[in-house]
Amino acid sequence: MPEEQSQTIMAIDELQAIIQRCQILEEADFRGEDFNLFQVAGQKCLEDGYAAQLLEVVQNEKNKVIIKNMGWNLICPLVRCILVYKQEDDKREHCLKILDQLVQLCNAKELFLGLLEQIEQTSGEQVCQTVMLLLQPLQTVLFKLQNKKAYSVGLSLAMIMNQLTPLPVPYTKQQMQEDKLGLCQCCNAVVDFAKPFVNEVVKSMEKSSECSDMELKEELLKFCMKSLKYPLLTAQLEQLESIEDHPFRRFATEIIGILWDMREFIPLVFLHHKGRSPSWENEEFEDIERKNSADSLACLAYLMFVHCFGIDCFPMVFSPSYLLQRNMTHIEVLLKRTEESVLSKGLDLFESSLLRMEDNSLLHQYLEFSDFITVPQNLVKVMTLCPIEHLRKKSLNILQLFINKFDAEGKYTLFRCLLKTSNHAGVEGYIIQNIKDQIHLSLTHLRSKARNVCCDMKVCDNSWFTGHHLISLLDLVLLLPEGAETDLLQNSDRIMASLNLLRYLIIKDSEYNNQTGVWTMLAKIEQNFLKPLHVGLNMSKAHYEAEIKNKKENRREAHNSNTVCSVTVSGEKMPVMTTEMQLQVLHSALFTFDLIESVLARVEELIEVKIKAVT
Amino acid sequence: MTTDEATKNEGEVQAAALAERGEDITPAQDRGVLKIIKRPGNEDESPMIGDKVYVHYKGKLANGKKFDSSRDRNEPFIFSLGKGQVIKAWDIGVATMKKGEICYLLCKPEYAYGSAGSAPKIPSNATLFFEVELLDFKGEDLFEDGGIIRRIKRKGEGYSNPNEGATVEIHLEGFCGGTRFDCKDVKFVVGEGEDHDIPIGIDKALEKMQRGEHCILYLGPRYGFGEAGKPKYGIQANAELVYEVTLKSFEKAKESWEMDTKEKLEQAAIVKEKGTMYFKEGKYLQAVIQYGKIVSWLEMEYGLSEKESKASDSFLLAAFLNLAMCYLKLREYTKAVECCDKALGLDQDNEKGLYRRGEARLLMNEFELAKCDFQKVLEVNPQNKAAKSQISVCQKKTKEHNERDRRIYANMFKKFAERDAKEAASKIGIEKEAEKAACEKGLKTPESEGRESEGHV
Repeated sequence: MPEEQSQTIMAIDELQAIIQRCQILEEADFRGEDFNLFQVAGQKCLEDGYAAQLLEVVQNEKNKVIIKNMGWNLICPLVRCILVYKQEDDKREHCLKILDQLVQLCNAKELFLGLLEQIEQTSGEQVCQTVMLLLQPLQTVLFKLQNKKAYSVGLSLAMIMNQLTPLPVPYTKQQMQEDKLGLCQCCNAVVDFAKPFVNEVVKSMEKSSECSDMELKEELLKFCMKSLKYPLLTAQLEQLESIEDHPFRRFATEIIGILWDMREFIPLVFLHHKGRSPSWENEEFEDIERKNSADSLACLAYLMFVHCFGIDCFPMVFSPSYLLQRNMTHIEVLLKRTEESVLSKGLDLFESSLLRMEDNSLLHQYLEFSDFITVPQNLVKVMTLCPIEHLRKKSLNILQLFINKFDAEGKYTLFRCLLKTSNHAGVEGYIIQNIKDQIHLSLTHLRSKARNVCCDMKVCDNSWFTGHHLISLLDLVLLLPEGAETDLLQNSDRIMASLNLLRYLIIKDSEYNNQTGVWTMLAKIEQNFLKPLHVGLNMSKAHYEAEIKNKKENRREAHNSNTVCSVTVSGEKMPVMTTEMQLQVLHSALFTFDLIESVLARVEELIEVKIKAVT
Repeated sequence: MTTDEATKNEGEVQAAALAERGEDITPAQDRGVLKIIKRPGNEDESPMIGDKVYVHYKGKLANGKKFDSSRDRNEPFIFSLGKGQVIKAWDIGVATMKKGEICYLLCKPEYAYGSAGSAPKIPSNATLFFEVELLDFKGEDLFEDGGIIRRIKRKGEGYSNPNEGATVEIHLEGFCGGTRFDCKDVKFVVGEGEDHDIPIGIDKALEKMQRGEHCILYLGPRYGFGEAGKPKYGIQANAELVYEVTLKSFEKAKESWEMDTKEKLEQAAIVKEKGTMYFKEGKYLQAVIQYGKIVSWLEMEYGLSEKESKASDSFLLAAFLNLAMCYLKLREYTKAVECCDKALGLDQDNEKGLYRRGEARLLMNEFELAKCDFQKVLEVNPQNKAAKSQISVCQKKTKEHNERDRRIYANMFKKFAERDAKEAASKIGIEKEAEKAACEKGLKTPESEGRESEGHV
């Protein structure tokens, strides 16, 4: 269209006009208005697709001084155009060349700010593209900067990471391969961007033992810490078949490499990281800082102990209990979170720390460290509340592993603690099962000792699961938590486990030997457990039977209007229970009561038989 | 023969020699750790439990394969001896070494990584061979300020320590300049050692000791009897002290969450008395501990009845005001200001709170703020003569300060001007233009502002 053409010609003419005017001026005489006109005209040229012409202007030797001073104004429209043009478009190629030229010619300070501004303004799907486009220019310009280089490098890295942080981290293999937003590629590009600066620090450290460029080192360290928190803490880091160059594993390797090269790796994993972070005046900031670094350090421990990143550099003389103790802090941080990616990292780190230990080798004194108590409690929470099944299962396995590692007294204390704190009949049942296993081990051991069979003393300190120690533990087990009013259905797991344990004790231990002490406390057991259980069973059964009868009558009476209330689970309305379904539930409850009753009968029978046998 | 094979052979030879001639250094005498000294130490002293030890080492598997070396990392390996931080063989082995010694250790799996091994480098049931050089060791610096150095003669049991307020039974012997000045068995409450002429450093150290522990404590003056000295024992001002302490037993004080409100209020009255007693005797560190208890008990207490709440607030107010006074005496002015802030949070017109904050600020050279505080004191109580005179002190100081500043800055500005002139000569006005452009363009990102100010710094 002629009109449009005339406009573009005007834009170029305008640019030429300003340029001609400025060519004869000294740098110092450039006026503000020249800058303005230059920017407007340049931008217009780009928008109208006359990149080739603009490139000529920029490349013209005569315009060098003008570009040096004013060129940075073109960065913004230039970036916009590059992102719009298709890969194979000639115009894109021209724009890239212009960018190149600007990087060569422009004043470093202005150009740096111009580039940073572009990164700051980008958002959403364009973040990675923009960052990757500008990394190279940014690096070049940072090397040209005369002063405040460390600060500028830090600012750039912080800005880039801040822009990346809101992006979702690809988690599945497919998401990683697809890398829709380009995050995987971008992260690795950022590391490459940082590397020359790392080399500078390393070189200055080689020269003198004290790093002369502390500031740059601090900035790079901040970048590494930030990277550990995002994306690495949420990234999937398992080895994957068919992905040879796993993007995040590569990224992790590079980050740990940087830490290692700057000699910060060992101090980070090991020593208390105190006194080196800048002390904030505001306590709130200090807290945030500490919390942030806690996440990063936990991720670092995970990378090292679970995936062996950097393990080559790690001293191989630490005792496994000490490593577990150190990792407990990290495990606690991770298990408190709810995201699958983070939780599973916590579980993996816990598992790997435990697998380094031999069974029965963890001294009970470790329970004096508070996280040895809180972490299993967190584990129970995952086990009972986490919506992701494989994590629930895994946490149960790890709890068993944790129990196995303790010495007898440790197991004993842990059982007590978990019985008191879990508030979950299933978990309590599980612990009671464990108690039974320990008693079995002790009794077997005592018998073989009686028969003079040698056995490892360390493994079985029998005193904790026999005699008076055991009695005080059984006091917590062989009872109904709320007497006869206890909800038997809710507590059925626990009750069944307790009855099984009692049955085991009665069969295994005789009133004559009374190694477990169960015969001494029989009266108490009857009072606290068996009697109320009878009462409870009778009441519950009567109640449920009446309910069933009611339901059946109601069914005959009102066939349609039977919704009493609706149930919603996390905002979603559950399907209405039909009377049929309700009846089914009631029947299955009755079945549970029958089961409990039959085991109870068996136990009482055994007691009677044994007592008779003695008298 | 390649070098690899050479070292491998060397390793095998050493291992064989160890198995043959090595000294069994395990307490159980089960040949779990065997040792040969390669180079004897140059001093006769061995490290003690809890000491921070510096070693260089090389570790090999039975097949001669090196799995770890501190020399490859270019820095000595540091750990706390006898605390279970390292494999058992090391806690046993390094404790037998003398400073400067190099030795070989052959460690059975039971004293190393056992059947579990240590992925990925140490396989299951591996016997390990080490060459260890003990470079240096030093006592544990309990508060990382050099004030209390501990060397443990006998390790205690478990990991729990007495807390502040715990009742402890100890045996102690105190030395100064080689003479023993104190020796006794004593039972007291941690934080109140002063009642038995025991310096604060012992209270602090006890919080890091375990039941049964026997240790030597080196106290700097700050943790000893300080400037006042201790005439009773003939101890001069700022003397360094050495104590030998055995923690025979202790009973932990209840943690805050173990006490109910009634108990806390009752105890608060008692510790307030105690704090005041210490304060009057000039024992400010001890007083801080007592007043601090009130804060830790009551500051976060919720769900009080109206009456309890009143009592609690009055205890807290008194505690904060007294803490502020203590910190003023201890020259910790920031903490003093914090306490005053909290006191004023409870009672915004509190005369003492305002006055003390003013004092602290004055001592921190914050004259304007200090003046404000003293003026507020006068608003509350126009009769307060001290506040009046403090205001004039503030004004005087402000004036002096301004004059000094003026002198300093005058010099500085002159220097800056000279330097700027030089720089300007080299790059004429480039920045000026760019900045102008930025201003006119209306670019107002933080960076551009930063840049503008950058030029003037």
